Amino acid sequence: MDRSHPLDFSFNGVAMKGYAGDTLASALLANSVNIVARSFKYRRPRGFFGVGAEDPNSAVAVQDGYSYEPALRAGQVWLAQGMKARSVSGWPSVEFDLGAVTQLFSRVIGAGFYYKTFKWPGWEFFEPFIRKATGFGAPLKVANDRTVQQRHAVCDVLIIGAGPAGLAAATALRGSGLKVFVADDQKEPGGSCRWECARLDGIPAAAWSRQITAKIAADADCTLLAATTVTGAYENEMFILVQTIMDERGVRGERVWKLMARYVVLASGMVDRPLLFEGNDRPGVMLSSAVRRFIGEFGVSPARRLAVYTNNDSAYLTALQAKAAGVDVVAIVDTRSANSAIYLNEARAVGITCYCESQIESTRGYRRLEAIGLRQAATPNIVWIFCDGVAVSGGWTPATQLAAHRGIKPQYDAERSMFVCKDLPESWFAVGGANGALDLQVAMDQAHAAAHAIAEATFTTLNGQRCIASARGFGAIQPFWLPAQGNPHRMWVDLQNDVKVSDIALAVQENYVSVEHLKRYTTLGMGTDQGRTSNVNGLALLAALSGCAISEVGATSFRPPYTATSMRSIAGARSGDLYRPRRYLPAHGVHLAHGAVVLDFGWERPDWYRSNGADRETAVRAEMASVRHGVGVFDSSSLGKIEVTGPDAAAFLARFYVSNMATLKPGRVRYSVMLREDGVIFDDGVVTCLAENHYLASPTSGNAEAVTAWFERWRQTEWPHSRVAIANVTSNWASIAIAGPKARELLIRLEPGFEASGEAFAHMEFREGPVGGVPARVARISFTGELQYEISVPARYAGSLLQSLLAEAALAPLPIGMEAWLRLRLEKGYIHLGSDTNGRTTPLDVGMGSIVSKRKDDFIGKRSLQLSFAIEERREQLVGLIAKRGMLETGGRILARGHVRSPCPTEGYVTSACESPALERSIGLALLEHGHQRNGETVHVLCGKNLIECFVCDPTFYDPKNERLHA
Amino acid sequence: MIILECPYCHEQRVEDELRYGGEANIQRATDPTAVSDEVWTDYLFMRTNPKGWRDEQWCCEAGCGQWFKVRRHSVSHAIETVARFDVVL
Repeated sequence: MDRSHPLDFSFNGVAMKGYAGDTLASALLANSVNIVARSFKYRRPRGFFGVGAEDPNSAVAVQDGYSYEPALRAGQVWLAQGMKARSVSGWPSVEFDLGAVTQLFSRVIGAGFYYKTFKWPGWEFFEPFIRKATGFGAPLKVANDRTVQQRHAVCDVLIIGAGPAGLAAATALRGSGLKVFVADDQKEPGGSCRWECARLDGIPAAAWSRQITAKIAADADCTLLAATTVTGAYENEMFILVQTIMDERGVRGERVWKLMARYVVLASGMVDRPLLFEGNDRPGVMLSSAVRRFIGEFGVSPARRLAVYTNNDSAYLTALQAKAAGVDVVAIVDTRSANSAIYLNEARAVGITCYCESQIESTRGYRRLEAIGLRQAATPNIVWIFCDGVAVSGGWTPATQLAAHRGIKPQYDAERSMFVCKDLPESWFAVGGANGALDLQVAMDQAHAAAHAIAEATFTTLNGQRCIASARGFGAIQPFWLPAQGNPHRMWVDLQNDVKVSDIALAVQENYVSVEHLKRYTTLGMGTDQGRTSNVNGLALLAALSGCAISEVGATSFRPPYTATSMRSIAGARSGDLYRPRRYLPAHGVHLAHGAVVLDFGWERPDWYRSNGADRETAVRAEMASVRHGVGVFDSSSLGKIEVTGPDAAAFLARFYVSNMATLKPGRVRYSVMLREDGVIFDDGVVTCLAENHYLASPTSGNAEAVTAWFERWRQTEWPHSRVAIANVTSNWASIAIAGPKARELLIRLEPGFEASGEAFAHMEFREGPVGGVPARVARISFTGELQYEISVPARYAGSLLQSLLAEAALAPLPIGMEAWLRLRLEKGYIHLGSDTNGRTTPLDVGMGSIVSKRKDDFIGKRSLQLSFAIEERREQLVGLIAKRGMLETGGRILARGHVRSPCPTEGYVTSACESPALERSIGLALLEHGHQRNGETVHVLCGKNLIECFVCDPTFYDPKNERLHA
Repeated sequence: MIILECPYCHEQRVEDELRYGGEANIQRATDPTAVSDEVWTDYLFMRTNPKGWRDEQWCCEAGCGQWFKVRRHSVSHAIETVARFDVVL
């Protein structure tokens, strides 16, 4: 705390003052804010209950100088100048919440309420109310100036937590040569050294921790990360750390670390858990350890008149510390007998009234605790004590969540009545509070022992001495789970989700007696605090009510993250333009110069050209017309190009394609599909035999890498003796397709010597030779159904080739975008992989059955085509659809035979659709059950709300005799 | 995080740079037409998925591109062996 450095902030619009070193929680307490939130279900007023991540109550939305976060816990937010914080629950305000009316119905909306809504009168009835009531905080569209970085690091030892035990372990390891990372979620390391009354190595703990911290920070082998939360522990000791970088305006940035460690020292401490009593949720009731920290670290008392309620000795320390700080401590209420309480005389000596063998039976106050009513054993009367705060301690819960991430189940230790990790992996050491140490010297010795065990395992030597602690221990505990008196409907177990003792009793009554069932049925521990203060009480109640031991009940598991982590820090820089690399065509600039409207098709490709029409539809029609009647120029550079060479290249390729590539002669091109081993189409494309033992496979644009990897994997793992080499040359070559009746003329204009006559250069042939003076590979293949040449040149000539082609004004060539290109192929009935095929489509379904049956030798996936799934009757097969009237839409469902109205069963769907200028009808391709036997049939297709009547036909709508193709 | 040393290029790589390829030692029939549907579908789909040690295929994708074999523990993720693909584990 730096009282010389005041900070201005506001809460729910009210201007307040705090100091540097305050958390939002301590600053709000200092400003006498009682009610910070409302509970989830009954909208009861909620004050501060804990001091950090364990606090179930204090959800706030925070705007600092850099960004806005919709739901943080006030104890985890460090105060910054100008910070604006708001409650995220309560309507119209957190002080006065109309939603609190739900309390009137609390008896009927108990445990399992959600599940019961499905039974009667129906979820639809409740849904609007429940949807309105759920959620904490709202996203706001505000400027975000927060930077996010990600770093990777490797270390020998990761120490999680820089409290006394963590610092002791780090000190012991210093000078060993081991690379040590120390991570602590607080702005300043030291943990409980900052607020507990203790001495270490003869000096006050706070001074000791500053000394040690300075030494560690100066050590080249140590990395001390303050304000850094270890959010997850993963296999092979990988950890995710989220580091917060702050300045006076707030959180300037976050750094996410992926850290690998050889050894782990878990020094994450422990938290108090509450005791149950009637009205234990009133603002003013707070964990005893939180009270100690608020007083010891922040110099703020959560109450003027404080009572203490406990079943162990640690709460006496709270009372003594509060008393020393000038707080009026009105009572210590201990459930145990006087001879168990080791600090009893000390407390009485400073004038604190102590009630042993006593229980709090009731409380008063709604918006703030006003009084507690306690009953001493063997007395008939309730004694009312007026107080505005109760510090409760019902025992401790070691923070073992990170060990749980690694699959370690904590076990119940009856002696200390807490869950501890007993069988950690060899490389893990739990020390201090995380290991349930209730005495500071024990914690320091555990840390020292862990350091020595690591040194021994790594053959290093340690020089440091064991640290000597002088502090009062937390003493002994006598479990006290379920009070004999008091209304169970008024005893809160989970303060965030409003789970009460009665809810757990109801769950047990309805036989939800497994911990995981109980958790989901009651929502116990499912809030943003992850049940840090409520789980153990819930389990103990379950055990008591179902008549078994706590050790038999077990604990629920924890999964990452340890505490809320923003999606933004997980994404890091991978957003917007940096989400993934953009792939540009080599002639991208020329396309833009022609008015290309570029979209992301995996590659940035022209969808249509503004130079061809004012709007998309006009331009696309003009582009289609130029291909059908003149010539169009299309950039297909993104198509995959994989060279396969070597003496076994032909046999190798033959194993991948449905058509026999072994019979392909030099200068010839063949189209085929490639299957996965289960018979489903994986890719389609042409294979060109460039020369003997030299082939060029052209997979689809999106599959170039996948097909290369596929070839390579089979080569390495199945046919390692094949003499072939595979090279992906996709980006080495640019390919420009020219299509249309005038394509030949255009080619000859560019390269007058090119032998392009139909006899010299037929469809599905390949020629090498200069085009426009540049070495080129020319394939006569067609995706449009027209005469078409695909000219491939080294990528650096892409722009000049494209420009030269478009400059032949006499032929009026138009640049063609993706949309026109795909519509042209649709008219021709060629499949577009991934649109007209799905994860079930085999070559038999797309009309390639005769090719398959002609193949004598094996190819990948062939055997699977004999399996029952591939030959069953009801398969969806590729067909053409011609609409009688109206517009077909991609995705339209084909109604089952005999149905003309939805809802009804369907028998397939439209995979591609467009208006065909050639047919002057709306046409589509579809996958339809029994499709190949339904030629000429009429089907009804539901497109949006319209029912379109269609003829089923052969998919080749345009030029079925291929006359134009062979022109 | 799984870290493996590629037995071909001897570079240490983290799992982001590697590609996982499922169980190792899956045998493809030399003559698929000669095997029954059961044998073929076993080859296609049936994997042992043990709780414990298993042999897997991994690829040094961001490095030399070679496929290799790894014996890994499916619970602890401990790595016992990393070997070239032609080694019988």
